[in-house]
Amino acid sequence: MEIRELTLHNFGKFTGKTIRLENGINILYGENESGKTTLHTFIKGMLFGMERGRGRASVYDSFSIYEPWENPNYYSGSLRFESGGKTFRIDRNFDKYTKKAELICEDDGEQLSVADGDLAVVIGELNAGNYDNTISIGQLKVETGKYLASEFKNHAVDGSSLTDTVCPHGNGEINLEKALERLKEKKKILEREMKDSLLQKQARRERMEQEASYIWRDVHRLEEEYVRITEEIHHRREKELVQERENAENKLVIDELRPDKWRIHPVEIIVFIGIIVLAFILIAKPWNYLVSIILFLVCGIYVWNRMKVGKQQEKTPPEIILEEITPEEEKIPKEKLLWEQSHVKEELKEKKTQYGNLQEQLTELDEISDDYREYDKRRSALLLAMDRLNELSIQLQKRLEERLNGRTSEILAYITDYRYTKVLLEEGLHLSVLKDGRRVPMEQLSRGAAEQIYFALRMAASEVLHQEEYPVILDDTFAYYDDVRLKNTLRWLEEQKKQVLVFTCQKREVRILDELKIAYHKIDV
Amino acid sequence: MRICNEEKADLLLIAGDLFHRQPLLGELKEVSFLFGTLEHTQVVMIAGNHDYLKRDSYYWTFEWPQHVHMILGSQISCVEIPELSLAVYGLSYHSREITESLYDQAAPKKRQRYEILLGHGGDEKHIPIKKDKLNAQGYDYAALGHIHKPWCENGSRIAYSGALEPIDKNDTGAHGYILGEIMDNRCHLQFIPYAAREYMHLEVTADKNMTGHALKAQIKREIENRGIQNIYKIVIKGFRDPDILFDLTDMDAYGNIIELTDDTKPAYDFAKLLSQNKDDLLGRYIESLIDYDEDSIEYLALCEGVQALMETR
Repeated sequence: MEIRELTLHNFGKFTGKTIRLENGINILYGENESGKTTLHTFIKGMLFGMERGRGRASVYDSFSIYEPWENPNYYSGSLRFESGGKTFRIDRNFDKYTKKAELICEDDGEQLSVADGDLAVVIGELNAGNYDNTISIGQLKVETGKYLASEFKNHAVDGSSLTDTVCPHGNGEINLEKALERLKEKKKILEREMKDSLLQKQARRERMEQEASYIWRDVHRLEEEYVRITEEIHHRREKELVQERENAENKLVIDELRPDKWRIHPVEIIVFIGIIVLAFILIAKPWNYLVSIILFLVCGIYVWNRMKVGKQQEKTPPEIILEEITPEEEKIPKEKLLWEQSHVKEELKEKKTQYGNLQEQLTELDEISDDYREYDKRRSALLLAMDRLNELSIQLQKRLEERLNGRTSEILAYITDYRYTKVLLEEGLHLSVLKDGRRVPMEQLSRGAAEQIYFALRMAASEVLHQEEYPVILDDTFAYYDDVRLKNTLRWLEEQKKQVLVFTCQKREVRILDELKIAYHKIDV
Repeated sequence: MRICNEEKADLLLIAGDLFHRQPLLGELKEVSFLFGTLEHTQVVMIAGNHDYLKRDSYYWTFEWPQHVHMILGSQISCVEIPELSLAVYGLSYHSREITESLYDQAAPKKRQRYEILLGHGGDEKHIPIKKDKLNAQGYDYAALGHIHKPWCENGSRIAYSGALEPIDKNDTGAHGYILGEIMDNRCHLQFIPYAAREYMHLEVTADKNMTGHALKAQIKREIENRGIQNIYKIVIKGFRDPDILFDLTDMDAYGNIIELTDDTKPAYDFAKLLSQNKDDLLGRYIESLIDYDEDSIEYLALCEGVQALMETR
């Protein structure tokens, strides 16, 4: 970018003033109070606009200071510059009533919109912040602000300044902080998903465990029941054995002979009938009648007695009471108990099988799922991306710093005739120099040397940070320079083939340029 | 059972893992009932590694109908069915894993005219099987189970029937049964697809002009082409517009997508980006990660990182 022409319609003390600027070195000479700084401010105002401050701050802001002396409602100017082979013109009205900003491409007459940021596109990376910290060097304001340090940090990742190739992705600047933020966000979302899926799995597992625990409870219950039934059966069996033994003791031979459930054996009856008939036949009359009747009665009584034993099983009151206090299940017949036992046993086995199956299922659930593996992969990818970006940005920043360091050193060496060959840039762009192998902090150097170091730094930063060449604006910067160093500086500036605007109230620069036979364009303000 | 009846099959072979876990008594009763519907067919079955014979397995005590024969031994034994002049050899799993290759030295004993091996396994932990060794044993037919994918090659006397229906989302391809015929010295085996549905792994390729709706339409179309009765595991491949992130919850038009993964890469031309940004962070970043495999974590990191850088410019 090169500034071609400044037209101050009405700005500060100037009215209807036009200044043409050339390539190379322009010396804007003027005595004190001739308005050099006004011009300087004008350029900045034209490029980046100028707003009226609010309240008390407004009293001494640029807007108020350069408000036209006469006719303050007409506060405007225009600036013509060349960029990328095209000529543009900015027209601005600063006063509050007719405030406007226009950008016109003079080659094709295209009207661009300043409000939409077209100007920013045209002038590239230059903005009010780095303008003040690199190319524009105001009076006694040579020290770079903290601004440059942070600008630098961000800039380190955007390598467009490291190469001479044209910025390939348009005006897009890489923003590391935001990119990292984005990755972090993604990671967070992913982790939430991961957690959700784990929770789901957990819920599934809990459901399964609950089911298992129900079954386990059943198993337990059934086991108890089984034991109880088995004991009961055992108990019954013993009782029966005892009873049997007792019965056996009471049994007669005839009882043995008699089939079960028969109260009287038929043989008995036949025997009885036989006896009666025999007695009737064998015994002489009339005794036989008597004997037969007696025998019949005796037999009848026996039979009746036997029959009564069967009927006798009616319950006596103590027996009833005993029955009432015996637990219910003891009344259950043994057959039913046996059936129940086998049934419980079967059910128990079934439940145990079910339980085993569930346990197996649970173990399978423990195996790491594909989902999880996939999540893990994506998560590691995000982590890797973040780490790598950080790593690389540090590398790049270091490289950029080295470059800045190197370039600053080069420029300084040139200016100081190799008295200082090494500038050390530290954290926060704190500067020191190496002098005779000793590190000397900035603060210990003379004012002139300090200004020269800052000058070198600014020039280097401008080169490193900006891919486009911008004009260098020097507003009485050389007040503290001795002739030799001024000579070197001017020669260096000339060699850079940049557009240089030197505002000065002295004739030193002109004299030295004449001495050096360097072509320059002199403008009297 | 219906097919056995229709085909008037002589023999139904079940090569293990009839159940995924220990069968319950009720389940065996159901199966037994189903076997009861067979009109002409004898059944021979074994237990596999899933329904292996635990000490208290119901298999031990279950009373199958007359025509169902289960081989319970853990060493190879045989069931003879004289009316078919057939001997079926086999064993049942008594534990979850068997690492010995039990089928390698189990030649048929020439008990009947036809001899079949009913086997289960084939991988490292489940009776490793070498097909050539098995072939050399001289069975008329080796019916194998365990592996879900059917394997039935022309001319081979060995076949895996595979699962009757696919039972896992990775059981892709056709499933069904083996229909075999042994006549004299000839054994003819044929795989019959029978499963009601298949699991299909589908790759849908997106391109950088595709929107979410377009993608959904494409997935729908692809599913229609392959049959909506099937169940799909879909991976979206290819490149997408870096500005679009597909909403995966809205892609399931027929309710038969079991898994949907978005593997699309933002349509960045890394090589071009690299050549354009040789020395800046983006270029350096691409350079440091570009030489990795597309499935690697590094490649994923490359995509994520480039996307983050590009989107936050």
